[in-house]
Amino acid sequence: MTAPVFIAAPPLPEIVPQRPRRGKFARFVLQHPTIFAGLVLIGVMLLIALCAPFLGTVDPTALAPALRLRPPSAAYWFGTDMLGRDVYSRVLYGTRVSLTVGFAVALLAACAGLAIGLVAGFVRWSDAIIMRIMDGLMSIPSILLAIALMALTRGSVRNVVIAITISEIPRVARLIRGVVLSLREQPYIEAAIACGARTPRLILRHILPNTLAPLSVQATYICASAMITEAILSFIGAGTPPTVPSWGNIMAEGRALWQIKPSIVFFPAIFLLLTVLGVNLLGDGLRDALDPRRALRL
Amino acid sequence: MGIYFLRRVLATIPVMAVVALFVFSLLYIAPGDPAAVIAGDQASPEQIAHIRASLGLDRPFIVRFGDWLWHIVHGDLGTSIFTNLPVSHMIAQRIEPTLSLMILTLVVSLVIAIPMGVVAAWKQGKWQDRLIMVFAVLGFSTPVFVIGYVLAFVFALQLRWLPVQGFVPIEQGFWPFLRTLILPAFTLGGIYIALIARITRASMLDVLSQDYVRTARAKGLGERPVLFVHALKNAAVPIVTVVGLGVALLIGGAVVTESVFAIPGLGRLTVDAILRRDYPVIQGVVLLFSFVYVLVNLAIDLLYTVFDPRIRY
Amino acid sequence: MRRRDFLATSLAAATSLAAPAIARGAEARVLRFVPQANLPNLDPVWGTQYVVRNASLLVFDTLFGIDASLTPHPQMCEGSETSDDGLVWRFRLRPGLKFHDGTQVLARDAVASLGRWMARDTMGQLIRARLDAMTASDDRAFEIRLKAPFPKLLFALAKGNPNLPAIMPERIAQTDPFKQISDIIGSGPMTFQKDEWVPGSRAVFARFDGYAPRNEPGNWMAGGKRIHFERIEWQIIPDPATAAAALQSGEVDWWETPLPDLVPLLRQSEDVRVDIADPLGNVGILRMNHLYPPFNDVRLRRALQMVANQPDYMRAIVGNDDALWKTMPSFITPGTPLYTEAGGEALSGKRDFAGAKKLLVEAGYGGEKVVMLVATDLIITKGQGDVSADVMAKAGFNVDYVATDWGTVGARRAKKDPPSQGGWNIFHTWLAGVDCINPAPNIAIHTTGPKAWFGWPDNPAIEAMIGDWYAAPDLASEKQQIEKINRASMEFVTFIPTGFFYGYQAWRREVGGIVKAPFPVFWDVKKA
Repeated sequence: MTAPVFIAAPPLPEIVPQRPRRGKFARFVLQHPTIFAGLVLIGVMLLIALCAPFLGTVDPTALAPALRLRPPSAAYWFGTDMLGRDVYSRVLYGTRVSLTVGFAVALLAACAGLAIGLVAGFVRWSDAIIMRIMDGLMSIPSILLAIALMALTRGSVRNVVIAITISEIPRVARLIRGVVLSLREQPYIEAAIACGARTPRLILRHILPNTLAPLSVQATYICASAMITEAILSFIGAGTPPTVPSWGNIMAEGRALWQIKPSIVFFPAIFLLLTVLGVNLLGDGLRDALDPRRALRL
Repeated sequence: MGIYFLRRVLATIPVMAVVALFVFSLLYIAPGDPAAVIAGDQASPEQIAHIRASLGLDRPFIVRFGDWLWHIVHGDLGTSIFTNLPVSHMIAQRIEPTLSLMILTLVVSLVIAIPMGVVAAWKQGKWQDRLIMVFAVLGFSTPVFVIGYVLAFVFALQLRWLPVQGFVPIEQGFWPFLRTLILPAFTLGGIYIALIARITRASMLDVLSQDYVRTARAKGLGERPVLFVHALKNAAVPIVTVVGLGVALLIGGAVVTESVFAIPGLGRLTVDAILRRDYPVIQGVVLLFSFVYVLVNLAIDLLYTVFDPRIRY
Repeated sequence: MRRRDFLATSLAAATSLAAPAIARGAEARVLRFVPQANLPNLDPVWGTQYVVRNASLLVFDTLFGIDASLTPHPQMCEGSETSDDGLVWRFRLRPGLKFHDGTQVLARDAVASLGRWMARDTMGQLIRARLDAMTASDDRAFEIRLKAPFPKLLFALAKGNPNLPAIMPERIAQTDPFKQISDIIGSGPMTFQKDEWVPGSRAVFARFDGYAPRNEPGNWMAGGKRIHFERIEWQIIPDPATAAAALQSGEVDWWETPLPDLVPLLRQSEDVRVDIADPLGNVGILRMNHLYPPFNDVRLRRALQMVANQPDYMRAIVGNDDALWKTMPSFITPGTPLYTEAGGEALSGKRDFAGAKKLLVEAGYGGEKVVMLVATDLIITKGQGDVSADVMAKAGFNVDYVATDWGTVGARRAKKDPPSQGGWNIFHTWLAGVDCINPAPNIAIHTTGPKAWFGWPDNPAIEAMIGDWYAAPDLASEKQQIEKINRASMEFVTFIPTGFFYGYQAWRREVGGIVKAPFPVFWDVKKA
């Protein structure tokens, strides 16, 4: 949306966040229980994703129609689905898809948004153009934007990442531009410019460190929303192809049997919920810890 | 103020232009040749070329964009590849369920979320606050279809209080209409309630820490008047802003909710269109939703200036 | 919505609550039906999807109609006469037939309709190849003159499988057979309410008061088609869980294709009845495109045939109840007189992945993409697609799984373009068992190349055998021909039958008169 929407929000931070020094990281985390809880949840999911082949799983795509719809048991911990595939293995491997999409989108959107935001903030003539484009893209609800982009391509994890990234970039760009504009008016930056500091150096020394805090908070929220968007895209059939065991696909296939085998939908849903919860907790915690004045904002 | 109004309204024009350009490019680069689709399976390349020329598909991008825009302004959104029906007709058929669902969700969410946020701010740090915030984070993290299936399972299948699916137009009675929408509205409302509860709490805390609230308390006004009259009134601006921005979440969620509850609205039209790669329909829906979203937020911006004289531009 | 309207309607609602009896009466006059799939169009000749046929049977009428014993009976015709040499067929329409636009059904409407049908239908094409002339002699009488006899002519005019020889007004029947009609006007017992049609959500049919049913009792497509509802509303519910729930709670009356996995659940409900839909069952089909690599090479078709495991396909379609399916190393419906397993070892033998891989090398398969269209909205097509994707990957094919919906598969499979340019290599579907009892109604077994059903297999030898079967004088020689056809088709791998399975239908207890048939028979159904 256009600028006035944000006018009522408190001003952007002027503080450089204290970067936790070596050895103090553990104390920092323990002082912030929300961050701790978030990190634990994400850590567990990351471990599951990395170690999926060693956690008693079988090939998550191997069909065995003769063994379909088995209830959870010692052999099939979460039961089997309507094609006899092992739900436990599928859910565990699904962790990989979800985390890949979440992390990749967060990283790509943060980098691209940072670059665009910096350009808009520093290259005056481009500001109006870039921000009009960003405003335009932001006025397309992000799931619809991702759906529209997916309509143009074939379903694959890569394309899902690209589609969701594009729909998230405008928010980051707008955030970074805001930070840059408010920093430019700070006396010490003005002084640096007056002393003839060149732009790259200025960005590196003064601007980037100040964007880190809001950027990392924003990136965690993007990560969470990307994972949910991926699940929604797969669920409605516009995401990863059905041959990929992603949580959205498992739930989409299990929904027909929701009444008689709720476990097929239930297990991936719980995993998705816990992962997104972990990322959101981390985001909330980071926001409170890094930027107390912004704690009041969303 | 009049000049601000005008400027604000004019500012939406470039935004909508970008949206239109994006949506048009979607069809422009979409795979598949509309001329071949219209010509049918048995057409020769010459016939297709002829149709392409008669549709003007061989003209440059910018000319076609202008032409397309001209049609849009006149309410012509093109023709569905799949059904051969005008897209505007298909959208008109399906707008009522979606609009009803969104309005009901909005009402339900505000009625639930604002008291939640106020209570959380009032009892800041106490168990009530914690509980409400845990609920809000959960609401934020739960995929909308999971909420939908759980609600349908409990209230429709087990308790049999409400229908599982479908939509009854309001002409067939208000209660039947409402019954079909209650579960979808709560499903769609989950994330919205979480969002509004959080912003309400945050802006309430902001306001409560300010001097005039302390003065009001010092005057001996009871907690409730302070909370609901003074503080909430002053916290309203960020809340209303987020309510407007959150409409984007409602639109995204409607796509899923309508699939879960078999509601014949625009969300299901979108899902059907995506499976069929029916680009004109996808285009029309994206354009419409974006337009609505921009208008809602424009209206909210303009309302501020009316209700809050401090905001001046 | 304006506030005042809102208040007005809620007031109206409040008063209508006071009269529940009236509302219930209205309930009984509407049948709410959940069809197998979305209704993508309503052209009985252009569309070959069963869902199109099912809707067409309500809106359009046919000259003849088969009954439950597959015998043709006059429907719109009073009867027919044949010359002794079998070359001239004379027909007379029964009086009082009307189209939905109020005009009378004339002989020339029938002639034009049959002409359009003959351009598309496989049996129709056989007739057209023998056709000398088809003329209307007056308003109610017309004749078909043949150059060579075609004894199964009445069977063709009475057929219940797509493409349907439905009668429509001459002006509409003049539409190019390869283009969809846009005006949906028939002379059947129900009119199509185009205004109320919401593609993807609902299709509504209203009783046609001008319809004069025959006096005989209704029997499939024969006899009197008496409709006991003012309206039949098709509600498209793509999610089976939602459809099951809607049936359990009485929000719909009849579900054409309940998911077998959900049948035990439906049976628990006292208010729901479940039964086998059609005793002749269905045949699952894996169809390959014979025009383009890799499956223009018979060795690669055989490689796929070697690894396709019918029990896997069947379980993916019908679930855990093994009584619901049979393997069928055959192109003919099991349990019918012509059934044969000649040459069936190719499908019933041990599945041979090593052999398939060897064939892939031998045929020089270089990992070209196999574009497989999978309609993920129907369990029959999705289940088969998933099984095929799995075995093909194991055999070494590079599968490109294109997830889409059944309507799109229906349109895209008609494209003869290369797979990389909007065409395809594989799709899955099913045929009703009644349409596989012999080669006449079976659209999939024909190998007439460009004129054949999607996939366009080209094999004049097999087509000649089918011609011999048409000419076979008795059952014994028919059987002999069918064995030859079956063996040759297995060898040529025209397509791969994935097994034989039964489907269920489910309905509310208060609905009576539902019969077993290969299509939903709406006449004589009543609601208490």
